[in-house]
Amino acid sequence: MRRLRALHSVDVATTDLTLMSFCGHCGMPPALPPAASNSRVCGHCELGLVLQAPADVAPAGDEPFLVIDSTLSVCAVSARAEDLLGTDERHAVNRHVADFLVPADANAPGAENLLVLLVEAASGSGEPQTAVVRPRQEFGVRFRARIGPCGPPRAALLVLAD
Amino acid sequence: MSLVRTLKTSEAAALLNVSPNTLRAWERRFGYPKPQRSAGRHRLYTHGEVAALRDALQQGLSISSAVSRAREALSTDTHTLVGALNGFELLRADGAMECALALRSVERSVEEVLLPSLDEIGARFGLDSAPWAFAARWADSWLRRAQRLAPPPSRPLAILIGDATRNDLDPDALAMRAFELFCGRAGARVLALPVGSVAGLGDVVASLSPDAVVIAGNHVCDDDVARWAYRVRAASGHLPIALFRRTHDDPKVRGGAGSRVLPGTPFGAQRQLLALVDDRRGEQTAEIAARPLQIATGPRRKAQS
Repeated sequence: MRRLRALHSVDVATTDLTLMSFCGHCGMPPALPPAASNSRVCGHCELGLVLQAPADVAPAGDEPFLVIDSTLSVCAVSARAEDLLGTDERHAVNRHVADFLVPADANAPGAENLLVLLVEAASGSGEPQTAVVRPRQEFGVRFRARIGPCGPPRAALLVLAD
Repeated sequence: MSLVRTLKTSEAAALLNVSPNTLRAWERRFGYPKPQRSAGRHRLYTHGEVAALRDALQQGLSISSAVSRAREALSTDTHTLVGALNGFELLRADGAMECALALRSVERSVEEVLLPSLDEIGARFGLDSAPWAFAARWADSWLRRAQRLAPPPSRPLAILIGDATRNDLDPDALAMRAFELFCGRAGARVLALPVGSVAGLGDVVASLSPDAVVIAGNHVCDDDVARWAYRVRAASGHLPIALFRRTHDDPKVRGGAGSRVLPGTPFGAQRQLLALVDDRRGEQTAEIAARPLQIATGPRRKAQS
C-alpha cells in the first residue's frame, strides 16, 4: 500500500478538486447542466445516474469503469466495463468487487491493497490513487486503474485505463 | 381488501422525474417497474413500486442498484408473511397480505408474496409438516375470501376446472385456487369440480355451458381424468381442454389437437386460457359469418343449372 501511495503525491488539496459529472452507465457528461435538470437520470442512455468525481479520476471518453461502495460491493458497471469484463450490470450489482477484479501488481505488498484503496476512496478519506488490476480468472491482461471518490452518495470510482 | 393505487405512464414518469420513454426503457432492461395493463392495454404502474424506486434512486449509484433496492424493499412483505405463518399468527398473516395489496394488484400479491411464502415454508418444513398444513389452510382460506370479494362475472365466459389435486394441502391446489380467483377477477364464471365426481356431471355442464375446460393438478391418474373429460365432452360437445400443473400427457385427457398445456403460474395460465378462448371465439365468428354466403349462393346455383 505504501508503494502504491508513493506513486502519487499525497499533498493534493482536496478542496481544489475540480469535479466532473458523468453518467454511471455510458460515461457521457450530462446533456443538461445539473442545475438545469432535477433528474439524475442520464439524458443520453437513460440507463444510468449522473455521478460526480474529481476531474483526474473521472472517466474520459469511453474508458470502462466500476462504482464500488464502502462494503466493496459493485454498485454500477459502465457499458464498456460490461463488455470488457463479460458481465452485465444487472447481475454484477451487490457482488463483491473481487469477483471481477483482483490486484495484478506482483510487487504490491499484499493482495488487500486494492481493497484498501477502494474502501478509502469510498469513505472519502483517500486521494486519487492508481493500482494495477486484472480481471479475475484471467492472466496476462493488466489494466492501470485510477481509483478515487465519486458520488453522490459517497462511493469509490475505479476507472480501467490502458 | 384494499384496492391498489395505480398510476398511468405519465404519472409514474412524473413521480420519478423521468420521461415516459425512460420508464419503458427501464421496463425492457430491468423488468422494473413492471406495469399491469388496463382494459385498453395501457400501462398501469402500482404506486408502491414506483415510490419504492423513487426512494431507492435518491440514494442510488446506478439504476440497477436502485432497482435491486426497491425490489428488496418490496420483498419485505414475503418475509413478514413467512414470519407470521411460522409463528402461527393468522392476523399478522392477513396484515402482511393487506400490506402487499397496498403496493400490488391482487394477482401480483398472490404470485409474488403469498405463493412464494408458501413455497418457502414447504421447502423449510416439508409438505407433511404441521407448519405447512397451517400455512396451506390459511392460504386456501385467504384465496377463497378474495374470491368472494371478486366482482360478479362481467363477460360471457365460463370455465370448468377439473380438480385433480390431492387435497387442500397439495401445493397444486393452492395454485389452482389462485388460478380460479384470477379467472373470476377477469370476469369469467368459474366452477371447480373434483375429477372423481362424474355422477350428474352432465347436468352441471349443461347448466354452466363452459367455453373451456381446465384440468388442474397432478394427483389423479390419467384414466380417471380421461373418464371425467369424456363425460364433459359428451355433455357439451367439443371444447378446448387445457392442462394446468399436470405433467401427464395422455392423448385421451388432452383431447386432440385443440388442447394446450398452460404455464405453471396462475396468472400466466389465466392469460393464456383467456387468449385461447378468444381465439376460438374469433374462429367461430368467422365460420358463422361465412355460412349465410353458402346458403345464399345455393339456390342461385340451382337456378343457373
